[in-house]
Amino acid sequence: MTTLSKRKPDWRRWSVGITGVNARPDNPGPGLAVARCLRESAGFNGRLIGLGYEVLDPGLYNDSVFDASYLLPYPSEGSEGQMERLMEIHANERLDAIIPCLDAEMSTFAHNETRFAAEGIRMRVPQLEQLRARAKDNLGELCDKLGIHTPETRKISDASFFDHCREEGWSFPLVVKGIYYDAMVVASPDAAKAAFHHIAAQWGYPVLVQQFVGGYEINLTAVGDGKGGMLGPVMMRKRALTNKGKAWAGISIRDAELEAMGHTIVSGLKWQGPLEVEALRGDDGRLYLIEINPRFPAWVYLTKGVGCNLPQALLGLIADDCPTKLPQPEPGTLFIRYAEELITTLEQFQSMMIEGVRLAVGDKNTFGKATGRL
Amino acid sequence: MAKPVSTLKSTFSSAESPRRESHTLSEILQELLRTDRLHALAVSANGFAFDPRSGQSFTVNQTGIDTVELLLAGGSLETTVESLSTRYDVPADVVLGGVEVFIRQLSRYLS
Repeated sequence: MTTLSKRKPDWRRWSVGITGVNARPDNPGPGLAVARCLRESAGFNGRLIGLGYEVLDPGLYNDSVFDASYLLPYPSEGSEGQMERLMEIHANERLDAIIPCLDAEMSTFAHNETRFAAEGIRMRVPQLEQLRARAKDNLGELCDKLGIHTPETRKISDASFFDHCREEGWSFPLVVKGIYYDAMVVASPDAAKAAFHHIAAQWGYPVLVQQFVGGYEINLTAVGDGKGGMLGPVMMRKRALTNKGKAWAGISIRDAELEAMGHTIVSGLKWQGPLEVEALRGDDGRLYLIEINPRFPAWVYLTKGVGCNLPQALLGLIADDCPTKLPQPEPGTLFIRYAEELITTLEQFQSMMIEGVRLAVGDKNTFGKATGRL
Repeated sequence: MAKPVSTLKSTFSSAESPRRESHTLSEILQELLRTDRLHALAVSANGFAFDPRSGQSFTVNQTGIDTVELLLAGGSLETTVESLSTRYDVPADVVLGGVEVFIRQLSRYLS
């Protein structure tokens, strides 16, 4: 008598929810790029479900990439409300997996991973302790532990620090950073105080002050398998920036030290899921870690461009159907972003506004579908 | 007719590091070869050069292409200067001056 082996789930036919489908030209979310990687991956004929927070997030209306789209309540409105909405969407779409793409929602997804699993929704997201370890205000401690260089950083809650910081060995220029987001390079105490108040008002306390290191920024994205192994990596250098410092154009590179830094982080934390490592090649020749983002970056479409499609690898990893080694990406592949207009109908916009859903034209599914006519 | 030995034109906008200014030409060249930075440099037939580690790209003229090719072919500084001197019919001391400027500039681009 033969025993039937348990078949691996085929991720190519999954329904995959993807968040972060905002796409402002100066600061796009990664969701659309993740979805394009999957839509264009060989053999994929599953459904891609866009999950957005704003009714004008363009990804919600992009029916060349997403089969359906839904609005979610903001993470700040509470984890329970978001879970309830996701379960409502799951009841309709039978989601097989979710790829969260925004920093702010990551702890909610990590916190509820077991509940998602109980509903049959798979994901690979960093654990709560991994999220805490890479938080901006803990980065110095992590770097000490892993033996990685990082610019000297201090948490401050009082702008008077800038009046006496020179006496404590700090020198201008300095970088003033928000605990979650935003950074400004300042050259004087007055400019530093203005930046402090601006950032504190927007992102709260504490504010971080970091010693400025000259040089150029290089980035790495990869997927951690949760056991210390790293899939990828793909590395790039920004070649043109938006006025928020995001990559408008970039080129793939191969930097052995940056790759080693990625390995150190992924193996040291036993990182689970996607990550982006932001580093600085200093004028002194050293490599400094600036930030670890617990998700794919907005430039992740480059991974498909260099033949190392990381969102595809992530789904494969989740389905236990992933090659242990991905192709080595060739340096010298360029991406350049551009803005274009997406056309949608008043009916679709109305549906999103009133019911928080867009379904593909001709879709038989009636969940939340707008039926009225103007 | 004498020609300038080489020029580099960056297509990148960031300020370059002034490192290695105090090193000798030979030390700089040895470092570029030892760290494989020169070997990794991709230079096309029309002078477009790309450094795969930094993502930096720049252009070099024909004499720059020739210099890189000669160095990568295993030529020493002396034999490279000699070859260029013969090829371009320029006195060796003039070529050496141009090669020095070129290698120092190249090392800043590859730093």
